[in-house]
Amino acid sequence: MDDNVEISVKNLSLWFGKFQALKNISIAIPKNEVTALIGPSGCGKSTFIKTLDRMNDLVDNVRITGEVIYKGRNILDDDTDVVQLRKEIGMVFQKPNPFPKSIYDNVAYGPRVHGIKDRKALNDIVEGSLRKAALWDEVSDRLNESALRLSGGQQQRLCIARLLAVEPNVLLMDEPASALDPIATSKIEDLLYELKREYTIIIVTHNMQQAARVATHTAFFLLGELIEYASTIDLFERPRDKRTEDYVTGKFG
Amino acid sequence: MARVRYVRKLKELRQNVIKMGNATLKSVEEGLEALEASDAALAERVIKNDDVIDKCDRKIESQCMMLLALEQPMAKDLRVIATSLKMITDLERIGDFTVDIAEEIVSMGKPIRTPVPLSKFNELVSEVKSMVADSIETYAQGNIEMARTFESRDDKIDSLYKEIVSDMVGTFVEGQCSTESVADIASFLYITRYLERIADHAVNIGNRVCYMEEGERNYLK
Repeated sequence: MDDNVEISVKNLSLWFGKFQALKNISIAIPKNEVTALIGPSGCGKSTFIKTLDRMNDLVDNVRITGEVIYKGRNILDDDTDVVQLRKEIGMVFQKPNPFPKSIYDNVAYGPRVHGIKDRKALNDIVEGSLRKAALWDEVSDRLNESALRLSGGQQQRLCIARLLAVEPNVLLMDEPASALDPIATSKIEDLLYELKREYTIIIVTHNMQQAARVATHTAFFLLGELIEYASTIDLFERPRDKRTEDYVTGKFG
Repeated sequence: MARVRYVRKLKELRQNVIKMGNATLKSVEEGLEALEASDAALAERVIKNDDVIDKCDRKIESQCMMLLALEQPMAKDLRVIATSLKMITDLERIGDFTVDIAEEIVSMGKPIRTPVPLSKFNELVSEVKSMVADSIETYAQGNIEMARTFESRDDKIDSLYKEIVSDMVGTFVEGQCSTESVADIASFLYITRYLERIADHAVNIGNRVCYMEEGERNYLK
């Protein structure tokens, strides 16, 4: 596999019972870049990213064919250590979902689960993760307060810090800013720009301007198919497929 | 069809650019008619009518900015707006060069007297006029085949321009021109230069139309 490719998806198809939600998807996700997935509701983009950390395993009647190659292995294989996989490929959801615990304990939760007990080591991880998530300056003097008292934007960055604390390689983000106001959204977008230096990021978004701002590559999904995948500037300035053109210009339907 | 108002606004934008193009073409045609007939009154009208082109420029620029700010255009829509925004500057400059020609006609107040035949100059005038007309047509029709002919047509115009200048300079060197015709020749050279510049802007328009239609910035020049 190309050294610049983090995840290589080959001929991926997915069925929920008889309904085929993903149709023969092949895509190479570049390392240390932000890749945006766009498309109308129900097009399969969220289903696609959930496949990348095996979240679809939790749904009944799922059948998956094809390959998702990460670190040289097909993560769809039965012998994949799903807990380790989800540590390396973490997910941030649309609605911030902090635990009803303190800010500190939210970030320290993952490392503790993975066996880190030393207080100094935990302190370092919490501070480092909150700094990377651009939240440290706002919460450093109230780490023991409940995370639920943070604003929505701060809660979302806390969830990102919680993810970073277990040292992942890939961040999957399913509409991470759709529930946030424009200022909180811009903080998340700035954060993505910083984080891509160290992480590979895949973001699902309905906001095409957001995709245009944050992503280097963009994939357009429609009815379970990957219609077009290109550099973001190419996809938004000169899409090759008429369906992409209709969608990005808002004339779809 | 979704975004009905937006689609209508885009259509209006294109129609307004075509209107501005037609106003510019009318100005060029009348300016060159005034030149041929040494018609100072017509030249004065050309100068006055430049306001129409300038107003179109401001109106279309404002339309483009509104569309960019409020509609987040993408793909071909974005290219149409970007092309229109740049193209109106080319049209406005063509209008200004035409005014420069008209001002020369007014200041001379009589037919140009040159010591060399005007056949090359007449050919230049004809080529420039048709390039301007065709550039507007390429935008209106998205006709990239026509736009691609502009490069070679402009090369011909550049050659004619150089030959005319060389012929005129030759008359100075050989002492063929009288003292009173020196001013005429200077005006004539200015006009020739303005025509050559008008053709350059027509080429720009052709390039921009290719980008609008194909999305590639493989500019001809």
